[in-house]
Amino acid sequence: MPEPLKSKNKHGEPFTRPPEIEACLVTLESMDVATRLQAFHIASRKSSDYVPSEALTHFLRRAHATGARADFKLLFGLLMKRIGRSLFATVSDSRMAGALDIREEVMGRFAERIAKDCNGRFAMLDFFEVRFDLAFARFRKSVLRQIGPSSVLTEPLCTDGEEGQDISQEVEEAAADFLGGDPKKIDDPAFRLELDGAIDALPDDQRRVVGLLRQGFLTHSQDPNIMTISKMLNCDERTVRNRKARAYKTLRAALEGDV
Amino acid sequence: MSTSKLFAADEESVLMAFSMEPSHGQETLERYITEYPQHATALIDCSIDLKHEPPADDVPATQVPDSAVDKAWRRFERAVQQPDAEVANPFAKLNTSSFKSLARSLDVSNLFLMRVRDRAIRAATIPARFVEKLASELGATVQAVGAYLQGPPGMVSGQAFRSSVKPSVGEQITFDQAVATSQLTPEQQATLKALSD
Repeated sequence: MPEPLKSKNKHGEPFTRPPEIEACLVTLESMDVATRLQAFHIASRKSSDYVPSEALTHFLRRAHATGARADFKLLFGLLMKRIGRSLFATVSDSRMAGALDIREEVMGRFAERIAKDCNGRFAMLDFFEVRFDLAFARFRKSVLRQIGPSSVLTEPLCTDGEEGQDISQEVEEAAADFLGGDPKKIDDPAFRLELDGAIDALPDDQRRVVGLLRQGFLTHSQDPNIMTISKMLNCDERTVRNRKARAYKTLRAALEGDV
Repeated sequence: MSTSKLFAADEESVLMAFSMEPSHGQETLERYITEYPQHATALIDCSIDLKHEPPADDVPATQVPDSAVDKAWRRFERAVQQPDAEVANPFAKLNTSSFKSLARSLDVSNLFLMRVRDRAIRAATIPARFVEKLASELGATVQAVGAYLQGPPGMVSGQAFRSSVKPSVGEQITFDQAVATSQLTPEQQATLKALSD
């Protein structure tokens, strides 16, 4: 059986990996080392033999724990190539200035996180064995926040006078019909992927508003029992509307190819 | 500040638990935000990331150069040989404007944040919820920031100050004393004090 994770849930029990990951680990454990290492080489997610990165992380940690240095270095390289490839999409040359350096910095910092985990200070990679893509998205965003939004080609974050700013009628109307416009387009996977990418590139405050609207939350409500976006983000309803309008303006331009 | 409480509410653990929920509808997000209001933005970000379609494949025809992997490997080797790097100053990477923007995000004065950074405040008196907020804003783990704050007080090197007296490291003060004497508005003071409840 795969070794349990070190992190504990609120009941003090170790977190468990999703069943499909546990099953994958059991299968990989039954293989001889050479076959297993070969399996990790498959890089395309489309392949039926693709091994999820959660499992790659698990065997990377195990290789370090058992002192299998050559295996560790090989798995390290494979994992870095995977995150490097995913960074081409999220830190793309078209969307960010100096994207190459940013990608390498994210990879470097991830390498340092692996080192911390190896040193056994904290369970720094447990989340990556549970949901790799989610954990890595969070990691990437925190690095981007630290190395400065000035390198990100988005609209500057406006914090001054936000509450008092007037929203033009035109922008408000654009916001109202956006996403609700063409249902066929929304169902198109290629468009959705593009939309996700454009939303991801928004400044944090706008991305949160759009993300919550997509999940069906209301901007505000007279009913104090209803959890609204302004309550969740702890800000004024007008601020939420402003962020929404600015976000939609940027998204519309991005998706129409004007940016 | 009990250790178990600090670990149970660690942002990463909360997000892991959230990501493992069978459904990520409105009800689940509301429940988690109500239970862990200090991690509201992280939970919202997580819920948005969960809604994203998994990419069918990464960008095709892109090859990560071996040189990039080699660079990462060298950083790994350097870091793995420095086991104490974790206790290093998590503020070290911030320049002056990022430091000020961190103070704004935390809604504290620059002076107050400097006292936190310079470990002028006794770690045991700092509320766990403040450490969590700080760690979240710094993109570090609660444990890492907690470990740093428990170090001895000191002056941050690499900073230049003009002074008519010889610089020295002062006695540590309590969190409440720092709240009262760091040029904070009454509202900011009340918010920080409420974190101790």
